[in-house]
Amino acid sequence: MSDIRLEGVTRRYGTVAAADNVDLAVAQGEFVTILGPSGSGKTTLLSLIAGLNRPTAGRIFIGGRDVTEATAQERNIGLVFQSYALFPHMTVLENVLFPLGVRKITGAPARARALEALKLVRLEGLQDRRPSQLSGGQQQRVALARAIVFKPDILLLDEPLGALDRKLREDLQVELKQLQRTLGVTTLLVTHDQEEALSLSDRIMVLNHGKTQQVAAPTEAYLRPANRFVAEFLGIANFVGLDGGRTGVVRPERVRLGPVGVDGGRSARVVEAVYLGQMVRYHLALEGGEGAPIVAAAPFVGKAWQAGEPVAVSWDAADIWPVA
Amino acid sequence: MTSSPWTRRLLAVIGIFGLVFLTVPILIVIPMSFSSAKALTFPPPGFSLRWYEAFFGDPRWMEAMATSAGVAVVSSLLALVLGGLAAYGLRRGSFAGRDWAEGNFMAPLIVPTIIVAIALYLGLAKIGLLGSLLGLVVAHTILNVPLVMMVMGVAIREFDPRIEQVAWSLGASWRTTVWKVMLPNLAPSVFAAWIFAFIGSFDEVIVTSFIAGKYETVPKKMFNELVLEVNPIITAVATLLIGLTVLALAAITIVLARAGKLKQTLA
Repeated sequence: MSDIRLEGVTRRYGTVAAADNVDLAVAQGEFVTILGPSGSGKTTLLSLIAGLNRPTAGRIFIGGRDVTEATAQERNIGLVFQSYALFPHMTVLENVLFPLGVRKITGAPARARALEALKLVRLEGLQDRRPSQLSGGQQQRVALARAIVFKPDILLLDEPLGALDRKLREDLQVELKQLQRTLGVTTLLVTHDQEEALSLSDRIMVLNHGKTQQVAAPTEAYLRPANRFVAEFLGIANFVGLDGGRTGVVRPERVRLGPVGVDGGRSARVVEAVYLGQMVRYHLALEGGEGAPIVAAAPFVGKAWQAGEPVAVSWDAADIWPVA
Repeated sequence: MTSSPWTRRLLAVIGIFGLVFLTVPILIVIPMSFSSAKALTFPPPGFSLRWYEAFFGDPRWMEAMATSAGVAVVSSLLALVLGGLAAYGLRRGSFAGRDWAEGNFMAPLIVPTIIVAIALYLGLAKIGLLGSLLGLVVAHTILNVPLVMMVMGVAIREFDPRIEQVAWSLGASWRTTVWKVMLPNLAPSVFAAWIFAFIGSFDEVIVTSFIAGKYETVPKKMFNELVLEVNPIITAVATLLIGLTVLALAAITIVLARAGKLKQTLA
């Protein structure tokens, strides 16, 4: 169990910096997500921490130890990939025993630990199957068991749920969070899925073009984004003009809709009403036509507005967050 | 591909004709090897095993067989290790001059064999290995490395590099990862590569003729015998070589098909 610290970590490929002077401190037991679009350098950052890649500049510390020059073998890291990367020729149990065997832990004690890890990921009874006989969700649980069985200092997860369908992904998110809390292991997850980042993490690090955009708790990053990029990448952002030529962001669920001429507000027309189950998302064109369309989200109770209807749009000044 | 039925029929006819043209001479050799006649005649007048008896009873042929087998075993194993490592480095590594290095390793397959033969003749003469068994093994190894690299290169490229990376992260050394994770999964391709290299060495005649000196391998002796006189023993040897090649290819096909890797490797 350890903390992670990155100091000015940079990785260049020719003139392109996949990681550009990145600083990050992950506390012992914390769950931090690195969030960014593809090509933002998030996977590069993970591979640098895992020791699969060497930084061009900067230092990496795990548990206070400078591991910048250490090999992947020396770092004691649990690593889980989107593609599972199970050993296809081994059974589930043999996969989980592998890191113990490498550490000269064999026989009954090893078996007990492996079975315990499989129990933690709810795979009891499947230890003699081959990976090819398991579903995607089960394979990812095996990968997780294999990554935690040797009590790694930290856990690195590279889009671990990306290959699973939505329902299963949501179930596994909950399990992953519980498992991480039970073990108390410092965890760094990489994803492009903002919902996953918001739901799993203690803190989010938003990355773009190899540069840190913001490091903050999920609600903080969502409601008080550091810049336009973060505002747009984390959910839907309505940009509104402020005094002095500045721009502010208002989240869709802070936008109020009402009948025209009752409580004031700006008049607009519903362009599209998208029914999402719990919510209805409205795309609105403001009267006068200036600016981008406004998006509002309202819980689906009672009457919903129809496309083409005129509505009055308003929001509180306190719900505007200046971004630039 | 879109084509009219007539074009397809024409293609089929040409294809079948080509196949027959290529295989008939090979197939004719087989009945001739069981002929009872003293000279090469077709069709054979009667059945006998006299040419096989002559072959197995001739110590010079047996010596050539031993040389061929010995050189093929050692050079194919050497080519397997060196070609496998080269394929791994080229597929997994990223370094300056990688394409150049790959081209260099593949050259013996692309450059006309006669040029390779002359190059090896001059090279081996310079280091005093011309006409030695060691020189023959070295030459055959160089010739077979590209075959191994082709087969192993495909296999390694198809193998998810993340599986190796996970093994490292779990604490396995590079050597443990290769032995316990990669090789068990690549075993069918390793077997195929080894057989290709073995047959490649066993069948080789051009380079061998240049550099083997007093040593006779089976193909070299066949070639030399044909130059002097047409001896029906040749048909028996040819039949045995055909049998060996067919068996080897069948073994490769079965092993790769079982592993579900036939298409990628032979594509």
